[in-house]
Amino acid sequence: MSKENELKFGFPIGAWQKDSLELFGAAGYDINFDENFQKIEIDDPEIECILIRPVAMVSFIEKGFLDAGISTEASVLEAQAKIVQICNLEFLKPVPSKTKIVIAVPKDSAIKSIKDLDGKKIVTRVPNIARRFLEKNMVPAEIIYSDALNEPLAGVVADAIIEFSRTGNYLKAYNLRIIETIFESSVILIANEKVLKNKWKKEKIESLGYLLKGARLAQEYAGLMLHASNEMMEVVLKVLPSLKKPTVTHLRGENWFDVLTVADKKEIRNIIPKLKKIGCTDIVEFPLNKVVL
Amino acid sequence: MESQKIKLGIPKGSLQEYTLKVFKSAGFDIDVPERGYFLKIDDPEIECFLLRPQEIPKYVEKGKLDLGISGDDWIFESKAKVIEVCDLKYAKQKIKEVRWVLAVPQDSKIKSIKNLKGKIISTEAINLVKDYLKKNKVKARVEFSWGTTEVKPPRFADAIVDVTETGASLRAHNLKILDTVFLSSTKLITNKAAWQDEWKREKIKDISLLLQGAVRGEEVVNLMMHIPGEKLNKILKILPKLKVPTIRKLASENWYDVTIGCEAKSVRELIPKLKRMGCQGIVEFPVSKIVS
Repeated sequence: MSKENELKFGFPIGAWQKDSLELFGAAGYDINFDENFQKIEIDDPEIECILIRPVAMVSFIEKGFLDAGISTEASVLEAQAKIVQICNLEFLKPVPSKTKIVIAVPKDSAIKSIKDLDGKKIVTRVPNIARRFLEKNMVPAEIIYSDALNEPLAGVVADAIIEFSRTGNYLKAYNLRIIETIFESSVILIANEKVLKNKWKKEKIESLGYLLKGARLAQEYAGLMLHASNEMMEVVLKVLPSLKKPTVTHLRGENWFDVLTVADKKEIRNIIPKLKKIGCTDIVEFPLNKVVL
Repeated sequence: MESQKIKLGIPKGSLQEYTLKVFKSAGFDIDVPERGYFLKIDDPEIECFLLRPQEIPKYVEKGKLDLGISGDDWIFESKAKVIEVCDLKYAKQKIKEVRWVLAVPQDSKIKSIKNLKGKIISTEAINLVKDYLKKNKVKARVEFSWGTTEVKPPRFADAIVDVTETGASLRAHNLKILDTVFLSSTKLITNKAAWQDEWKREKIKDISLLLQGAVRGEEVVNLMMHIPGEKLNKILKILPKLKVPTIRKLASENWYDVTIGCEAKSVRELIPKLKRMGCQGIVEFPVSKIVS
């Protein structure tokens, strides 16, 4: 039974569990995974965390057993569930590679393209996504569901696998070759459609979204502080990203200004040398906890 | 003349990691060698030793250490006469106080402190428990435990007094909590001799100021936001009053940049509220030290 002021929140078991815990921590929650009891403890009495697999979570949220949760785009697609996406948390960490769903075959396999899968056996943990992809490409193949480590099965019990790949390390370790990437999946905060009609729950979920997304963005952004003279200001403001309006303060009794802004860390490494060349001084970069634009 | 040095005891064990972290935020880098107890600190006026927190109060009392970090529990337990310089308000990173509790098996006939009469209580902190029993006017046998105290009832003891955080370990051993015996927080302690030495006292005060600043800094964050001119007064009213906000008008626009300090814990309520009230570009950033 759902209590009035309590959010039943789905917490992803598996690949995203650790990163999700860290993100909640960064968002300002004392959260702890008790390994003995496989339970999540959070210092907010208004949130009850329920650990669950992302695909099952999506269905539970659709049916209203859970109010909201952290799942993935792939899970929503696999479960074909109707839910509301509150915000996209991307990949929980600024990683160079996205989580993909790929079709992979043994390196020495004769299968070179999707067409060669005709009549073959494919093992996958996302049978619905796999089936629809093959139907769309008009390739009849046998799909076998398995949700354990599927990489070792390619070339042994099946001709190909359709699996998640974050770094490609597993595929390499099992001597597999990607023949097609069929989907790129982000981590998302989702909610049940009807739950959003309840004012308290809607605000609670939205607030959670601001904080989680804010903590997520702070991983990619940093604060930037510098001094620039009146003559430099025009050029400086052009160099700075327009993400947030910079705060410009006149330095007492001087023809100089203090400029404060936030920027993508990757941009900052290009911006700082430029600012230096313009003649800016006292350039300071500092870390952020949250960015809510 | 040999240069003066403060001899500092750093607690080994559960308090260690956070102690080192607080010292780092306070500006002291302490290096812990893989297998050694002679710590290196980047201040030539301090010499560091890694010791069990149970022993630090005694060594401070005897003057073997000038300064040490330990818990109220061990200061009390060792009955050491030390001077408390300041409370560092941390026990571990997230939990402010260490809680010593009296626990008995779930199905025990012991329902209250009074039922402890004549029973065996196993604990690592004998004096703490004896004092507790005395205050409650109950006579029981207190036995010292070298550790893994929670496995002792019912075979080796009728009850235990042990440290708990979440209670998970007690539950796992089928124990239930009857009472809280002692709440302990972390203290910076010194002795009379060091406190009367002018140079040492000043040095200790400086260290204390920086450590407290670092602990406080952990609890506080800065919040920077842009507020439209017409909403400035309304929003300023709901901002916490930890310190006076810095308000700057944005060049050639009716927007203001407002920076405030606030309790880290309050941010998760505050940010969504500010966002709903129309603030933009809300940025939270950490504070390393706060000295007021």
